[in-house]
Amino acid sequence: MRQKVPHRKKSLKSRLKKNLFGWAFIIIPLILFGLYVWYPMGRNFVLSFQKDYFDSTFVGFDNYIAIFHDPVFAKALKNTFLYILWSLVIGYLVPVILGFLLSEVFHAKGAFRVILYLPCMISGIAVVFLFSTMYGDTSTDLFNVIGSWFGADTQPWKGNVHLIIPLIVLAMTWRGAGSTSLIYLSAFQSIDDTMYEAARMDGASVWQRFWRLTVPALKGTLLTLFVLQIISVFQVFYEPLVIGPKGGPLSSSMSLQLLSYLYAFEDFEHGKSAATAIILVLIIVVFTFLYRFVQMLLDPMRGKKGERRR
Amino acid sequence: MRKTRTPKRVFMRFKDKRGGFLNFADYRNPANKVGYVFIIVILLFFCFVALFPIVFLFASSMKSVEEINSSTYTFWPQVWDWEKISRLWERFDFGRYYLNTLVYVVGAVVCAVVFNSLMAYGVAVIKPRGHKIINTLIFLGYMVPTILNIFPLLQEIRAFGFLDPDHQSYLTFLPLWLGFGANAYYYMLFRDYFSRLPKSLIEAAEMDGASQWQIFTRVILPLSRPIIGIVAIFSMTASYSDFLLPYCVLQSEKHQTIVVGIYNISNINPPLQTPDFLLLILLSIIPQIIIFLIFQRQIMNAGAGKGSKE
Repeated sequence: MRQKVPHRKKSLKSRLKKNLFGWAFIIIPLILFGLYVWYPMGRNFVLSFQKDYFDSTFVGFDNYIAIFHDPVFAKALKNTFLYILWSLVIGYLVPVILGFLLSEVFHAKGAFRVILYLPCMISGIAVVFLFSTMYGDTSTDLFNVIGSWFGADTQPWKGNVHLIIPLIVLAMTWRGAGSTSLIYLSAFQSIDDTMYEAARMDGASVWQRFWRLTVPALKGTLLTLFVLQIISVFQVFYEPLVIGPKGGPLSSSMSLQLLSYLYAFEDFEHGKSAATAIILVLIIVVFTFLYRFVQMLLDPMRGKKGERRR
Repeated sequence: MRKTRTPKRVFMRFKDKRGGFLNFADYRNPANKVGYVFIIVILLFFCFVALFPIVFLFASSMKSVEEINSSTYTFWPQVWDWEKISRLWERFDFGRYYLNTLVYVVGAVVCAVVFNSLMAYGVAVIKPRGHKIINTLIFLGYMVPTILNIFPLLQEIRAFGFLDPDHQSYLTFLPLWLGFGANAYYYMLFRDYFSRLPKSLIEAAEMDGASQWQIFTRVILPLSRPIIGIVAIFSMTASYSDFLLPYCVLQSEKHQTIVVGIYNISNINPPLQTPDFLLLILLSIIPQIIIFLIFQRQIMNAGAGKGSKE
């Protein structure tokens, strides 16, 4: 342990200088954060209690009450949970499997990684347009062609209110799985080899090794990415804007963020748009704190920080 | 912790596999060899899934209009309509989209690196009075996606005189560029990196009488190449795919980026034939694929750290 050096009381001049220089570094970025993040956020909060952007009459919780009576809002809220559900069903395990396979394969590993990561480079808008064409309703659109091999009738894939959310999630998963699998890959690779060696010595079967060693070692990453995925699904926006379009038939793919956008830019109901945004923010904040909490629980240094400093 | 590495050979054999879940000892068991074949097969399947939509995009975009309207479906075009590329390129003046996107991406990367690193250095290293509050406020902004507050943000940009459809110069991009200068995630990446740099370096430079600005530019920045590279990669891919804010801000026809252009073209009347539209999407993703193939190592390394370090 290093001996603690007695802290010298710094002179007023040097402290002033430190503050001055510090603020000189911070001031321009601080203005930018103010303009782009804090002001719009605060303005939106105020706006959610006002009649309109251009008419600042205070209306209390009227906007919140109005959106809770709007069936489209209820639909969007329900859809948000459907998005989460489907994204967990379709998209949660794929990157885990890919990460594991990539960590074990020893032929052409680099090529596999490059190919699997490629979809992540394509811009989201291009991906949704591409998948939107595949989901088309004529007999020569890809999904109907594949369906016809199995004897299915031509059907409007995007027009099906039950299928549209899974189809959107499919497109999102196609784009996102590669980059998430790299996170799992590094988690798998950081598992201690001596642990496997010891298990091998003790005659544990491959199956036992997987469930007793690999899975527990991965628990932290699995939980962290679980929460992160939920947070990111709350922000679904342009997918239902393009594949749908604009929330799909009967608002079947409407998301909260898209609804907030449509309130402001199509219905010109800025108060309702702001109220929707604030509710979404509250949900995201809750999940973010959940995420921090999970990370804190998983932190191996938990409770030891004080000791190390002393 | 002990890591055993598999030696590199041209033809990898089972007895060369070191470390990991299955190693050479496990592969003495023929059942595990069969298991490895499964690993390869499943990976090949996922590679097919990853590549198929891109190949589909390429094949479909080259079809002629007559072919798309015929009732029989073929995957590859019967007639390759190469001349379509130049026809569509001229009709939409596609070169300007690339140029505008380049202008946007370069400005965004510069702003992302410069302003966020300044902020991070001020807050995490110099630590003037009030740095803790600023840090908390930025984390608040990190939780709330900027897009949610887009309406007040746009009104603010309008108040500064930027949403003018007749804007003639590239200054139209200024509000978009500066937006990348206020990014909580990039700030946090810089902050974590700077706070891990050895304090003795800065103290030594202070002893030698260097000013804070000199320490930042001559000592810190040269040491920060890895993190600058990561933020540059993230902001490059993010700005290339950025949709909503550019869509709202870039009012003038002349200055639209490629993603905004694609979205606007999808709404023109009469609508473009599907193969023609797919060709434009193909053109829009080609630069991203080329960039990926050039910088694949850096991009994938940056992406792998994304979820684990936040």
